[in-house]
Amino acid sequence: MNRKNFINRSGRWLLFGGLAYLAGRIIYRQKVSPSGKYSWQIDPYKCTQCGRCATECVRGLSAVKCVHAYQLCGYCDLCGGYFKPNTHSLNTGAENQLCPTGALKRKFIEEPFFEYTIDEELCNGCGKCVKGCSSFGNGSLQLQIRHKLCENCNECSIARVCPSDAITRVPVEAASQIKGDFIKPVTPAPK
Amino acid sequence: MKGLKTILLILILLVAFDSVQAQQRFPKPEFKTGYTQPVPDTPLPHGVSRKFVDLTVLLTVMSLTAWFAIRKRWRRGILILSVFSALYFGFLRQGCICPVGSIQNVVLALADPTYVIPLYVLLFFLLPLVFSLFFGRVFCGAACPLGAIQDLLVFKPITIAPWLRKTLGIFPYVYLGLAVLFAATGSEFIICRYDPFIGIYRMHGPYLMILLGIAFLLTGLFIARPYCRFICPYGALLNITSRFSRWHLSVYPAKSKCIECKLCTTGCPFEAIDFPDVKEPRPEPRRNARRFILFFILIPVIMAAGGWIGSKSHVFLSRANQTVYVAELLISHPELRDDPANLDIQTFLASGKSLETLVEEAQVIRHKFYVGSWILGVFLGLVIGLTALNQLIYRRKEDYQANKGACYSCGRCIDYCPVE
Amino acid sequence: MDMQKSPVHIKLVSNLITLSGIFCLVVALLLLINFIHIETAKPLESEALKSLVAQFQGDQQNEVLKQDIRNLDLLARKAFFTGQWQVRTGSYLLLFGGIVFAILLKVYHDMKARIGEPLITGGSTQIARLLSQRWILITGGLLFVSALAASFMTTDYLKIYEETGQVVQPKQEQIVKAVDVENTQGERRKEEGESEGNQDAIPQDSIQQSPVTSHLSLVTDTQPPVTTDASGVTRHASFRGHWGQGLSKAVNLPVDWDGLSGRNIKWKVALDKKGYNSPILWDDKLFIAGANAQARVIYCYDRNTGSLLWQHEASGIAGSPVTPPRVQEDTGLSAPTLATDGERVYGIFGTGDILATDMNGKRIWAKNLGVPDNHYGHSSSLICWKNKLIVQFDTNTSGRLLALDCATGEPVWNHARTTKISWASPVLAELNGKLQVITVTSPTVYGNDFETGAELWALDCLGGEVGPSAAVYDGLVYATNEYYRLAAIRPGPAPEIIWEADEYLPECSSPVAADGLLFVATSYGIFLCYDAKTGQKLWEHEYGQGFYGSPMIAEGRVYIMDRGGAMHIYKVDRTKTSLGDPVIGEKSVVTPAFADGAIYLRGEKTLFCVGK
Repeated sequence: MNRKNFINRSGRWLLFGGLAYLAGRIIYRQKVSPSGKYSWQIDPYKCTQCGRCATECVRGLSAVKCVHAYQLCGYCDLCGGYFKPNTHSLNTGAENQLCPTGALKRKFIEEPFFEYTIDEELCNGCGKCVKGCSSFGNGSLQLQIRHKLCENCNECSIARVCPSDAITRVPVEAASQIKGDFIKPVTPAPK
Repeated sequence: MKGLKTILLILILLVAFDSVQAQQRFPKPEFKTGYTQPVPDTPLPHGVSRKFVDLTVLLTVMSLTAWFAIRKRWRRGILILSVFSALYFGFLRQGCICPVGSIQNVVLALADPTYVIPLYVLLFFLLPLVFSLFFGRVFCGAACPLGAIQDLLVFKPITIAPWLRKTLGIFPYVYLGLAVLFAATGSEFIICRYDPFIGIYRMHGPYLMILLGIAFLLTGLFIARPYCRFICPYGALLNITSRFSRWHLSVYPAKSKCIECKLCTTGCPFEAIDFPDVKEPRPEPRRNARRFILFFILIPVIMAAGGWIGSKSHVFLSRANQTVYVAELLISHPELRDDPANLDIQTFLASGKSLETLVEEAQVIRHKFYVGSWILGVFLGLVIGLTALNQLIYRRKEDYQANKGACYSCGRCIDYCPVE
Repeated sequence: MDMQKSPVHIKLVSNLITLSGIFCLVVALLLLINFIHIETAKPLESEALKSLVAQFQGDQQNEVLKQDIRNLDLLARKAFFTGQWQVRTGSYLLLFGGIVFAILLKVYHDMKARIGEPLITGGSTQIARLLSQRWILITGGLLFVSALAASFMTTDYLKIYEETGQVVQPKQEQIVKAVDVENTQGERRKEEGESEGNQDAIPQDSIQQSPVTSHLSLVTDTQPPVTTDASGVTRHASFRGHWGQGLSKAVNLPVDWDGLSGRNIKWKVALDKKGYNSPILWDDKLFIAGANAQARVIYCYDRNTGSLLWQHEASGIAGSPVTPPRVQEDTGLSAPTLATDGERVYGIFGTGDILATDMNGKRIWAKNLGVPDNHYGHSSSLICWKNKLIVQFDTNTSGRLLALDCATGEPVWNHARTTKISWASPVLAELNGKLQVITVTSPTVYGNDFETGAELWALDCLGGEVGPSAAVYDGLVYATNEYYRLAAIRPGPAPEIIWEADEYLPECSSPVAADGLLFVATSYGIFLCYDAKTGQKLWEHEYGQGFYGSPMIAEGRVYIMDRGGAMHIYKVDRTKTSLGDPVIGEKSVVTPAFADGAIYLRGEKTLFCVGK
């Protein structure tokens, strides 16, 4: 019996020591952040608008939405992100719009400027408008993960298949940057 | 209006050949009507305080479970706690981050110099293990949402033969080893990816994942806790730590004596109750000792063989890594370079990186896999060897008692035991 | 739970269970149908809408079409969001139903609970233990064996790439399976990741590449395979590029430069010795040879900067003549172009010396094939492939086509033939399913099997002093010589001439074919384009300067350098479209070498790199 207890006790403290060592090693290397928490962030400079954001998110309707950095926008009449290429009549007809769900809305401000806003309930994160804006416009439209919706999975399903590795873990404080103050890409934490 | 449109059109066509990277092609507009540009809202995710609340809840639930199981001997309390866990950790907190997945984060923290593990994740990993060192698998009993949902759906459990149980019991270690390997090489988190129940808790997910989850639950009606027993990698760790627990749930009250009525064995759906074997004829000690020694010698051989096979496997295992996969794809199927539908290759080609560089990176990762697969193979060899060896060790069980490694401290046996 | 166990209650509960079970099943089925529906007909990407929009692009005034698109678009959007809502609602319903079902089951179970049979202790636990032990070992063994089997079935492409520096050529049957590879990355990695855990699942692609030697497979068309790295072309391994066919896959090639002012000239270096040979490239190195009566030298330059990295003199070779043979000054002793396979550089000189050095200039092997009896000077360039170095050694006294082992220089095969002297170079091509060496001599054009050297076909159709090498396109071999003919030959056991032309024939410059067009440049200044299949002359241009160098095709353009040093660039097209005539400012008789963004030209005295 005593032998059994002895084995029991030594095993237990050995394992406890092992766990303590593991934890200590991680802490010693300052690899623990007491107040830290990570969140997922798309680097709009790396994003290639492949369309996987719309399909890979674990949510039914993706947590990735198009976000507009208004201070970069040119407010163009012929918006590269709103209109399909080769559009002749610049109106809000469905035949002219790039957005498949009608989430990108166009509003006349003054001559010759138009404001473009995104209805987030309709946006599915496909990135067609972003692609158009980056190719033919100022690139003020960008795809970003909306943290009110994001589940903050341990490994983002979209990050796993992003072809340009644009989605990385960033500290929570830096997690919702929009282009404009996003001059340099955020130093990414690894996937 | 028309003139401006044409100018803009020409401008756009002129700049159409520019790279896709954002450039300020059109100047900042100057508004004359006093319009002010809206500011995009940038909601931040929840802070870390919520996670510490969760940790506190976890601590409380585990402590209560330990108390209910060991001291108070109250099954219903454990049942209530497991319902609570399913609701709180499961549906409310969507089952993420969980201790099962935290293994990967800890491994990543050790392997990747740039990853800093948040404290709460480390605590999620450590707390259930520490608790199991003292109280047994109280985490599994009532705190784990994956376990809770399976546990609540035990309907008509069938008995599984011991040899099958022991054999299937190897797979959690395989899964653990693979999860550690893939996390350490930065390839992916397979535990998170193949978690069957998270889709149900989130109420959405890839359809196949939901189907898998429902299949597991339906299986769980008849084979109790299938994921916990035969797949969960954290369970593999808890199994080991729980064997050395200071206190543990006991079928009969501590001060009493077992009357060998065997009612507890009908109550435990997980076949986690050990039978007494003192009355059995002991095997010939010499023969047994010989077998034991044989195994002792054999185990290093099995470990070495496992390590060698593991090292050979590193090639196909490394394909789980995106970099290696794309590099090999480009080498083996160069015609895919012209395939516009293959996004990974097209994005890589557009990135300007040379195949040489990619192959170099892939080689580095593959080397990591080489080392990791060696270790994995040795580890699996050890597991197989020790599990087989374990069958030869006779521990002189005198009565019906919960197997410390396998018992989840659910408390069903308490209600069945008639001893006061 | 203490419930009254009256039969009425039990019946009620069991009915409720059945009801809720059916409810769950129905909802699950509906969800499944919804899922299938959404997956097969993605509402936001409906083909009908796409085709209507495409139609509309061409006809933007059509009001009816406009309305149709708007209606269809609205329907699509509604369908998408309704689908989302349906899934959400269905999931909640299923969850609710599931919970009710589970609770009812529990209640039922409790009501019907009896004291059950105790677990049978199963006789002796000893037997159970031994059984467990056996099964554990069996399972472990199975696991290891399947992992080993999987590891033997996988090909290590990274290692192949490292060793050969080349990408794998797709097998014919694998081209069909290559379409499969369009699986999303996720699914593929799922398979790989599960292979260890699931003994039966062998990774899908390891089934595709069954023999480990799959990288030996060959392409099925006559165009040379791509031997480049993914980022682009950095290799031009022998005369007229890969397989000697005159085609290059390099991109971003300059079309304009001026050697005199230095515009678009990245660098230029003065060459030490003269030579008729063209530069060759391998990654960052450029190799070129030069010779005079005293020495024959292989030079290696850094192709990005033009700095000389090393030079190797072909001296001290056993069997080498003490005095080199007398040759025409124009041709010189270093007329044949070098060849390289990334491991070694091979060179042959008019003295009959043939040698191999490694990429850093250290000699690996050298021998003398005998001084060639060649009144102008030996000119046939080398070409190497798959560890064989092909040497065309047709002289006044004997005709030989040799294959030497690249690593040792030992002869692998030797095709002796009775033919007259030739100054053309061997070309490799896959014809009729075999990789062949095509050599042009007087009067015969030969096709030899690359592996064995066996003569597969031969056709007498030329004469005189043959300089131009063959061109290959779409199963036809084009051989030509001045005063004789330009013949389009269909090779095979009974080779036949499909069409021929007898005016505007080259004596030195080799023709080149791509995209159904054949280009020929003559010594008296005519550059012309034929339809490769029919021989119909499509266009021509006469220049004041003749052409000795051969035209090269890259990036949809054909580049031909005239003897005055002007490169004439045309679009590879049925209509004559000139794209420029940049000059290097020196006389040139040499064929250019291409890499991404750069063209390497050799003038009389200077080596140029054109590009940014």
